[in-house]
Amino acid sequence: MSKDDSKIDETGSVSRRDFLRKAGTYTAASLSGAAMLLSDPKPAQATQNVTWAEHFQKNYRLMTEEEKQEAIDRLEKRYSEEFGKTVTVDGSPAIDGVLFGYALNIQKCIGCRRCAKACVQENNQSRGPEQEIEWIRVLRLEKGEFDVNDRDNAGYPEGFGVQVGGNAYKPAGVVLEGQHYYTPEQVPEKDAFYMPMQCMQCEKPPCVKVCPVRTTYRDPDGIVVIDYNWCIGCRMCIGACPYWARRFNWGEPNLPNEQMNPVTHYLGNRPRMKGVAEKCTFCIQRTRKGRWTACVEVCPVGARKLGNLLDPESDIRKVLQTKKVFRLRTDLNTYPKFFYFMD
Amino acid sequence: MFKNRIVGSTAAICMLAVFSTPTVYGEANQVGNECFESRDGKTQVTQKEVAPGTLNVRCSPTTGGVLWWGDPFDGTIPMGDMPASVDADYLHEEAVVKPREPEIDRNKLLTVCTVACHNGEYVPVPQSKEPRPLAMHQDIVPDSMKLAHGKGAIWCLDCHSKTNRTKLIDHFDNEISFNQPQKLCGKCHGQVLRRWREGIHGKRIGMWDKGGKKRWWVCTECHNPHDVEQGNRQSGFAQLYPEPAPMLPKGMPNADHERVKHGPGH
Repeated sequence: MSKDDSKIDETGSVSRRDFLRKAGTYTAASLSGAAMLLSDPKPAQATQNVTWAEHFQKNYRLMTEEEKQEAIDRLEKRYSEEFGKTVTVDGSPAIDGVLFGYALNIQKCIGCRRCAKACVQENNQSRGPEQEIEWIRVLRLEKGEFDVNDRDNAGYPEGFGVQVGGNAYKPAGVVLEGQHYYTPEQVPEKDAFYMPMQCMQCEKPPCVKVCPVRTTYRDPDGIVVIDYNWCIGCRMCIGACPYWARRFNWGEPNLPNEQMNPVTHYLGNRPRMKGVAEKCTFCIQRTRKGRWTACVEVCPVGARKLGNLLDPESDIRKVLQTKKVFRLRTDLNTYPKFFYFMD
Repeated sequence: MFKNRIVGSTAAICMLAVFSTPTVYGEANQVGNECFESRDGKTQVTQKEVAPGTLNVRCSPTTGGVLWWGDPFDGTIPMGDMPASVDADYLHEEAVVKPREPEIDRNKLLTVCTVACHNGEYVPVPQSKEPRPLAMHQDIVPDSMKLAHGKGAIWCLDCHSKTNRTKLIDHFDNEISFNQPQKLCGKCHGQVLRRWREGIHGKRIGMWDKGGKKRWWVCTECHNPHDVEQGNRQSGFAQLYPEPAPMLPKGMPNADHERVKHGPGH
């Protein structure tokens, strides 16, 4: 063979021999480098080593129990060093016989936004002026009006004019054109009611359907989770979600050490990295241990309920049996596990 | 963003004086700060360390409301017996409440009221429940000359013991502790009591699972018993200061676009 083997041939492609030689060299170098980093016991490089190991780990769903435990150990080590305190990463699977359901009393909600802030306290979202992420958004909706004097002829359909309950130009009743950034002196306001929205934990989640790397999936207890390590940041899920439930870490998350919640779950509130999507997980680190979510606990008017849909005596089942209940955008066949109700 | 706010709340009143308990919300979460759980000024909690580095509650620096419970059962006592019309598993769970008496009696006047005034001698025990002009107590019950709760159908002694002002009463004049107002309110609001006992009215924190320990919120932790409907607002809850709005997306100078009133030409 001539020396020209290493050159690009006439068609512009690299010769097979040259490709194999170079590929072999790079592979050997990278593997030996990775092996060296993984086995290096120096504490100063521990975080870097852990990061390397994280790059090589599999999709969480495909890991064996041992691999999951290794991944969790690595994270606990890294987080504890990063945040200067003992951080636990839980890997509890779904509890048998439990399907989580959530109910929110839209009649009681006063729009105080404490749920949104409590969620941030619990779930280690990014905060501060550079990047603030909240998983819950509270919409302020105007109460509709109906006035006989408004029955003009400007409505739809043309020529008929009178449209009881509003027309194409005058919405009456509830309109889903809420305010996200309302700032009244006090809540609740007389002419408004409030509609908090968050991940609905759909039974047929559009976000799961579109994820090209299958890093987001629905666990048997109904919680849609994300393995942040496998998220490639394509944001397809954000576009697919009809409930505006997902958020994206455009920048490096800002999470002060003293505010970091050290009780975390691998699929939930463990600190995220730049370039991954995140969303409500029904406080998976709490609910899989039997405790209510942070938003349920903080609501000052008790408008939020969470329970086991498979337990006939649970509060969520009582709500479904006795209250007027609706779900958002049922026309999309997402089958949300988040219910709104009225007394 | 951080600001202090002084909230004045009129507390228990006796004949002797009018007291108020101003609450100052601290700038940060630290031991000794006071914040409120549901009703501002009526459900106060003082921050303390329940474990190394963990506070019993975390509070909002802007509104003074509790945002997070480090220990959901801090400062609670057993709820006590609660008759129920059905037998269900949830009736056998460990249920705790936060006692209301220390909160209601912050100025330690409740006992004084009974001993100093309503002792049957200084102020005679009323012979009937008939409404009469109140010379006192208009500080405790604003607009007490025209009690909002019940809209004229009930009066003080339908709920308060006429011989023991530290207690409430049931239909048979049996005494009820201020810590169990649900027994009193359930006298009239039976449907609500039933829903509360099932866990779908009101609030609980702690463990959601069957058999798990739960802290139950009692009626007066959310509602003002003397004016449940909050005057003409007919809300059931007093107005609160809302938490700050979320951050605007980068590049959006303000949120005026969403404040446009709907109407013709929209």
